[in-house]
Amino acid sequence: MKDPILEVNNLRVSFRTYNGKVQAVRGIDFKLFEGETLAIVGESGSGKSVTTKAILGILPKNSIIEEGEILYKGDDLTKYKEKDFYKIRGKEISLIFQDPLSALNPIMKIGKQITEALVLREHMTKEQAKKRAIELMEMVGIPRPEERFEQYPFQFSGGMRQRIVIAIALASNARIMICDEPTTALDVTIQAKILDEIKEIKRKQKLSVIFITHDLGVVANMADRICVMYAGKIVEVGTAREIFYSPAHPYTWALLSSMPDLETKERLFSIPGTPPNMIFPPKGDAFAERNQYAMQVDFEEEPPFFKLSDTHYAATWLLHPNAPKVEMPEALQHRIARMNRKEGV
Amino acid sequence: MVLYEDNKAKYDAVSKDLFRLVQRDEKIHDVEFKTKPIGFFMDVWLRFVKNKASVIAAVIILIISFFAVFGPGMNEYTYDEQHTELTNMPPKVPFIAKMNLGFFDGGYTMENRKYDNLNDPEKYPEGCILEVINPRLVNGERIVDVVVDYYKYKGLSDEQCFWFGSDYLGRDIWTRMWRGARVSLIIAVVSVCCNVFIGVVYGSISGYYGGKVDMVMMRITEIINAFPRIVVVTLFIMVFGTGMFSIIMSLVIKDWVSTARMVRSQFYRFKGREYVLAARTLGVKDMALIFRHILPNSIGPIITSSMIAIPTAIFSESFLAYIGLGLQAPEPSIGVMLSRGQKVLLQYPSQVVFPAIIISLLMISFNLFGNGLRDAFDPTLRGAE
Amino acid sequence: MFRYIIDRVIALFITLFIIVSIAFCVVRLMPGSVYDQDGDLSQTVIDTLNEKYHFDEPIIKQYGYFLKNVFLHGDWGTSMKMRPNVPVFEVMKDRIPVTLQINLISLFAAIPIGLAAGIVAAIKKNTIIDHFVSFMVVIFISVPSFVFATCLQYFVGYKAGAFPIIYDASATGMAALHSMFLPILALMFSPIARVARYLRAELAETMNSEFMLLAKTKGLTYAQSTIRHGLRNSMVPLANIIIPMFANVLGGSLVVENIFSVPGMGGMMVDSINASDHMLTVAILVFYSMISLITVLIVDISYGIIDPRVRMGGKK
Repeated sequence: MKDPILEVNNLRVSFRTYNGKVQAVRGIDFKLFEGETLAIVGESGSGKSVTTKAILGILPKNSIIEEGEILYKGDDLTKYKEKDFYKIRGKEISLIFQDPLSALNPIMKIGKQITEALVLREHMTKEQAKKRAIELMEMVGIPRPEERFEQYPFQFSGGMRQRIVIAIALASNARIMICDEPTTALDVTIQAKILDEIKEIKRKQKLSVIFITHDLGVVANMADRICVMYAGKIVEVGTAREIFYSPAHPYTWALLSSMPDLETKERLFSIPGTPPNMIFPPKGDAFAERNQYAMQVDFEEEPPFFKLSDTHYAATWLLHPNAPKVEMPEALQHRIARMNRKEGV
Repeated sequence: MVLYEDNKAKYDAVSKDLFRLVQRDEKIHDVEFKTKPIGFFMDVWLRFVKNKASVIAAVIILIISFFAVFGPGMNEYTYDEQHTELTNMPPKVPFIAKMNLGFFDGGYTMENRKYDNLNDPEKYPEGCILEVINPRLVNGERIVDVVVDYYKYKGLSDEQCFWFGSDYLGRDIWTRMWRGARVSLIIAVVSVCCNVFIGVVYGSISGYYGGKVDMVMMRITEIINAFPRIVVVTLFIMVFGTGMFSIIMSLVIKDWVSTARMVRSQFYRFKGREYVLAARTLGVKDMALIFRHILPNSIGPIITSSMIAIPTAIFSESFLAYIGLGLQAPEPSIGVMLSRGQKVLLQYPSQVVFPAIIISLLMISFNLFGNGLRDAFDPTLRGAE
Repeated sequence: MFRYIIDRVIALFITLFIIVSIAFCVVRLMPGSVYDQDGDLSQTVIDTLNEKYHFDEPIIKQYGYFLKNVFLHGDWGTSMKMRPNVPVFEVMKDRIPVTLQINLISLFAAIPIGLAAGIVAAIKKNTIIDHFVSFMVVIFISVPSFVFATCLQYFVGYKAGAFPIIYDASATGMAALHSMFLPILALMFSPIARVARYLRAELAETMNSEFMLLAKTKGLTYAQSTIRHGLRNSMVPLANIIIPMFANVLGGSLVVENIFSVPGMGGMMVDSINASDHMLTVAILVFYSMISLITVLIVDISYGIIDPRVRMGGKK
């Protein structure tokens, strides 16, 4: 592997609320390598979006970065002020939003929204910017871009708007693109198209992508590596293959078992219980409460990461030599076996 | 990243018995909420009392209401009793006057008096002079301004006084002001109640049935809305005369429209919700759907908008009184007192000060109170502390 | 869009017609003779007047004459009490400019102040500045304009002597502006507060929107994104509240004009009602209706122009 382009070390982010301090992100580490797609997967509230917001310095006002660093090109982004971020956003790191319907300014022409940053920051002339915008619109697959350039967001469908948001994100040749659940708000039929689009653009532009989602199915053929997050912590990290074919953390098992596919005949698994209250995060393993395989130690001490391979780590006591030998759920074993067979064919 | 491999010693020291599965065969349930459920109005109340400004406003409203009810009976005057010899008396409260604070002492500044006459008990009864200011020489004569206790100056006994002074007909301002406040409050509350009643019924029907009914009903409100408020109110009072009833009606005739529109939009929001459809498929009647299933959702906005309508009504009433379209004399109204007092503002500012303070306090309090209620009822803030 | 405007204009004329009719009937059915109460007019004079103005005929017929005069000759009738035998239009002609002048100046002065206060409060939300602005907004909205007017008159006009206590109709140029200052100021409080309150709420909401976030991640600076996206978007609904203010302030100016003895429409309306000068009352009511109907029309049309969603959709 090449050098990491972005490195997050022991990041902790909290929110001040009237009820107390919500510990949204509780010390996470990950690296993003040049040209790879890193997926961060987790339930809502697990801290995935907060992490990306911290990277771009767009955390809400009541948040505090408690500790940790975000290294980009040797600079620690957590030390950046608003005006420093101005140099990074869009140009180095750009973001694609969850909801394209509300991400575009409803009363500004599409063209202007794309060219705005080019004119204001790159000091392009209006004509140059327009030329570039039309290129971008073509690239993200918008038919008749010249005509569309003069239109307003309400004249675009959801999928088209998301393409525009992608075009805006690409405008200044950013090296890292963060996609925050880019397809959640879209129709299922559009989802696949947008995902293909993102994949294609990533390949052409040689981007590094951080892909945030709660849907493992979406990342299956997008991601090179996957981080699984739960309650503000990374519980398992590995290549896509490792996560899908040899998951080690009970939470990953649960997530995989709750994912529908065409062959599963049993009732789909749902994870019992609710995520913990992040004002008083539980001692030990946060997932223990909801975990069928919880051991006494899970309630008392936080598990360290166990190394499964050079790229695969999981934070669960089950991997400790003293732990009883536990197999992953049967349904999941069947499924993995099926997937293996298919590949063999 | 804390790796096991890096801290082997520490993690292997963890006692072996901890490594036993404890939930393998247990059924894991959703954890019950440990907090007590809070009802809708309790939640509203909790959030309302957090807002200090609106709590203070509510207290001020209560105090003013108390005086509006009992204030006029607190002294020996009635609101229409005239004292032709005691017109435009300054305010005096005996126990405050004794403290020599410089106000409520019946003090009145008489300008350009001859200094030499000050000791003449014929002209200045004993003890009436409070202060002598601004001595100067004009044409060789020593001239001063004298602050006198106007009551003593007029030779009245210590007991007789008007707390807030008297007006141009010698009527007690304290009594008239509280009675005026009472009138304002009654008119405001009654007109807002009528507004809400008409608006809720009209808006519910229009919003619930939709379609043609809605179109016709909304057309009607649009036409009413097109009439300028001041013109409608003026015409109404010209036709029906200046009674309490016609003033209330003149305020209602236009203001119910906004309530109706608000209720209608609430209906549009809720009538398509699944729970309403479910109730309907179960055969719930229209009326029950309207009043039991949909309307309760709008209770917050309705209460809020009616609280905000109250200061508007108070203002309208005093405004009408001010331009002479208010209640018939001698019935007092704060607006009338202000417009009367304004005519003698430069000589007797106290006649304006008290009514002005009361109406401003009332308006500010009702607005703050309404704001507090709006925040308390705001569904997006529900549950937040 | 064109059809939309035509529709609106037709609706305006229909409403105006209804208002004129109602106003005419109401005012003419009021008790009180059209002639001077003292009534030392001889019968012959009354007969001559009746012949000229048709006061002895049924109200419907009178209404017919009235409409005919208005539409054919632009003649709104003749004042009978305040300035006997002067056409109503003449009576109003001198007063309209004064009223409009005071109202327009006060609004145009108030709007920028309100905008500035609202912007500052929204950007510095939940700081001491914001709380101060919110506090002033409540005071300005709550305290009636005639209380402000009275206070200004007493403290600024009388005690401090900085400005004339009453309006000086004969003054010109700077002196006129000087004597107009207090009434204008008294009328400014409420618009300032309304604009500030509205813009604060609107801008604070816009600042929290997703497209503001996108504008930031696009690489715009704080100032650029606030101005180009936040302010621009908040301004659209603002037009909707500023324009009706012209009609509202006019109502408020009624009393303020009275307090400062401004020879405007406000004072005349009150006087004409009290003097039961019927034709004049009708004309004044119609004047007020006109102003407010036209502002509503402008709101509707301007909404179409500003908001592309309405413009492109063809209609609202």
